[in-house]
Amino acid sequence: MKSKKAVLFNVLLVLVLMVAFTASVQAGGKVYKLGMSLAITGPTSDAGNPMSKGVEDWFKFVNDTKLLGDDTIECVIRDDQYENDATKRNFEEYLDEGIVFYLNYSTGSTLALKKDFEDAKVPVVPASYHEGNLIDSTQIFLPVATYSENIVGLAEYIVANHKEGGVPKVAFFIHPSAFGRGPLEDTQKAVAAGLKIEIVETVEHGKDLDSTAMLTRLQSKGVQYVLCHSVQSPVATLLKDSQRLGMTAKSFGEKGKLTFVGAHYTGGNDLIALAGDAAEGFLWACSYNMTSENNEGAKKQLDLAKKYGRDDKAANSHNYATGILMAQIPTEAIKRVKEAKMEVNPANLYKILNEMNGAKEYKSFVAAGPLSYSPKDHIGVDVQNIYQAQGGQFKAIKSVSSEYMKTIRAGK
Amino acid sequence: MSANSWLATGNFHTTYKHEQNTFYTSLDRSVFTFFLILLFAWPIFYPLSNKYMLVTDNILIAIVAVMGLNLVTGFAGLISIGHAAFVGIGAYTVASFCRTLGADHVMVTHFWPVLIIFSGLFGAFFGALVGLPALRLKHLYLAIATLSFQMIFQWVINFMSFFNQGQTISVGRAFWLTGEIGRNQHYVFWYYIILTIVVLLGFGVRNLMKTRYGRCLIAVRDNDRAADAMGMNPGLTKVYAFALAGFFAGVAGALHAYLYRGVGFDSFTLKISVSYLAMAIVGGLGTLNGSFWGPVAIKLLDLQVEHLSEVAKQYLPSAMNVATALKPFTFGLVIVLFLMFEPRGIANWWRITKSYTKLWPFRY
Repeated sequence: MKSKKAVLFNVLLVLVLMVAFTASVQAGGKVYKLGMSLAITGPTSDAGNPMSKGVEDWFKFVNDTKLLGDDTIECVIRDDQYENDATKRNFEEYLDEGIVFYLNYSTGSTLALKKDFEDAKVPVVPASYHEGNLIDSTQIFLPVATYSENIVGLAEYIVANHKEGGVPKVAFFIHPSAFGRGPLEDTQKAVAAGLKIEIVETVEHGKDLDSTAMLTRLQSKGVQYVLCHSVQSPVATLLKDSQRLGMTAKSFGEKGKLTFVGAHYTGGNDLIALAGDAAEGFLWACSYNMTSENNEGAKKQLDLAKKYGRDDKAANSHNYATGILMAQIPTEAIKRVKEAKMEVNPANLYKILNEMNGAKEYKSFVAAGPLSYSPKDHIGVDVQNIYQAQGGQFKAIKSVSSEYMKTIRAGK
Repeated sequence: MSANSWLATGNFHTTYKHEQNTFYTSLDRSVFTFFLILLFAWPIFYPLSNKYMLVTDNILIAIVAVMGLNLVTGFAGLISIGHAAFVGIGAYTVASFCRTLGADHVMVTHFWPVLIIFSGLFGAFFGALVGLPALRLKHLYLAIATLSFQMIFQWVINFMSFFNQGQTISVGRAFWLTGEIGRNQHYVFWYYIILTIVVLLGFGVRNLMKTRYGRCLIAVRDNDRAADAMGMNPGLTKVYAFALAGFFAGVAGALHAYLYRGVGFDSFTLKISVSYLAMAIVGGLGTLNGSFWGPVAIKLLDLQVEHLSEVAKQYLPSAMNVATALKPFTFGLVIVLFLMFEPRGIANWWRITKSYTKLWPFRY
């Protein structure tokens, strides 16, 4: 009887050990938790929605193709409907869950949570490229060139390509918020530092459905270039009205007409969809590679979208590319931390990100140039392409990086 | 007075002094004390995550703001649709100190109770100022006047560089007897502070309504000419109703600034003003406990709708953007349903429940 019990005990012991061993093999891969909060619905969701798809698809790809070996990334993406209170709540929830990296969205929430990011000591990649994000901040890493770099770079392009004599007269058409005003201040600093443009007027747009009065006024003041820093829909209204009134320049800087140029969130396929042929000739600064370029990077982006069943609109959106890059940055950091045989935690990810420069810079297929960070430089891709709307597509015409912004930043 | 102070089935006042009591029966006092102990003790025994502690703190701040709104709109009958601007005045008072002295100045970090009271007083000053049109205006016209104040506030904050053009102005971490309140204790610490303020202000309102000043508010609401004929001063009453509401809102704003460690324009828009009004309506206008029920109901509803939206968008095509519509839709629906079927708000359910339990096991 006793021996029977002993046999039963041993069998049970073996079973328990087998289950434990199997479980430990299955749980061999580590799970790295990340969090993202953005506007998938509500205001600006036309940008946030494809962005969330880009982030989601890239992490799926990482896990499916075992880019991190047996380890996987679990990124919770929550919709904050562009409300800072909801973003803060989401961020606190992610911290409670033990995230190692955080992805944020709007300028407002990034500025509002800046102190929290510092306290929590978690590296953050936002979708906002506002210069102010980097002031008094160590944890924020911008993926690409800032809005100010976009606008000042475009102003430099205007100066370099202005064919008539005299100083080019420009007007600003901006979003009535911190997001809109930031680049204006930096352009004013650039003018003070010697940039040869004259800022004739600044228009903070409302929700106007007609821009006739404003366009007529700008033209009467001799404005030739309109620098736009907003989102696509108000710019589309402006472009359509300008076309209707016959004010749009047929070629860059045409005398007596208006040439429109804009920063990151003004352009892309969404602008063409909204403005139609009124967008023709619009110049747009962006640090992402467009799928209309039909290059290797574009092919990879489209393949990824196809693999996860995305429609053409999302696949070709530069906001989808933005999402991919936002996801690629922590993925690459985790990969490098693992290669360095360090523990994957916020402190080590922060350290490795700051070392991502020189020979260690990262090349992403969605970006216009290499991505690099250092303790003194938290702007990833410095290169920006100037695209022009031609035949319903944005075509790259030049790669630029703003010289004046270096001077302005050095003076800060 | 009832013979049994524990089991009174009605309010039998035999002296005016007894009518002034905060609690009429021992049972009332005991239940309240137990509930208060519970409110102070639960974070020790059942600690919430930071996310839910933030939600709780937010509800308590909304209670402070809605108590103020209920004074002016519920008790005094003066419609105010610029209440978020008054809350903003309080928050931007703290922000102004941060801009002038620095976010980590000792005045901001150590003397925060003084700053909170000062913000309340500043709110009261602006409340009285905005209340001046109430001397001449009534009903819809007064509502438009308060709306104008909301618009002026938004414009000033959004365009003045002193207020960082609406961008977030950082507020330093508060200090307590034990030193700086770190990130881990932040939400619990502010829970206790805000809860204490809610209790003090709650008692303040309850006692106010037992004084001639409180009765004046109700008299002016019911008929200001009759109140005038009875020797009250309707003009002064209206102005101090606005001043009181401004004080409560100012305190709420200062608490918001410290809780979020920053002040940004987004938290004090017209949309927030409307939501304060909705909280007052859903809770029950003209009741003290309605100021508690309303914020709890609306804030928790918001949170649940957010969770529902998360689920809904997984099954519905993104182009339909149903999740976007869900929040304003439920918000509007709840207000309409309350106005139609329970205009006295949740406070009325509470009243019915209380009277039922008071009579139990008898039916009447």
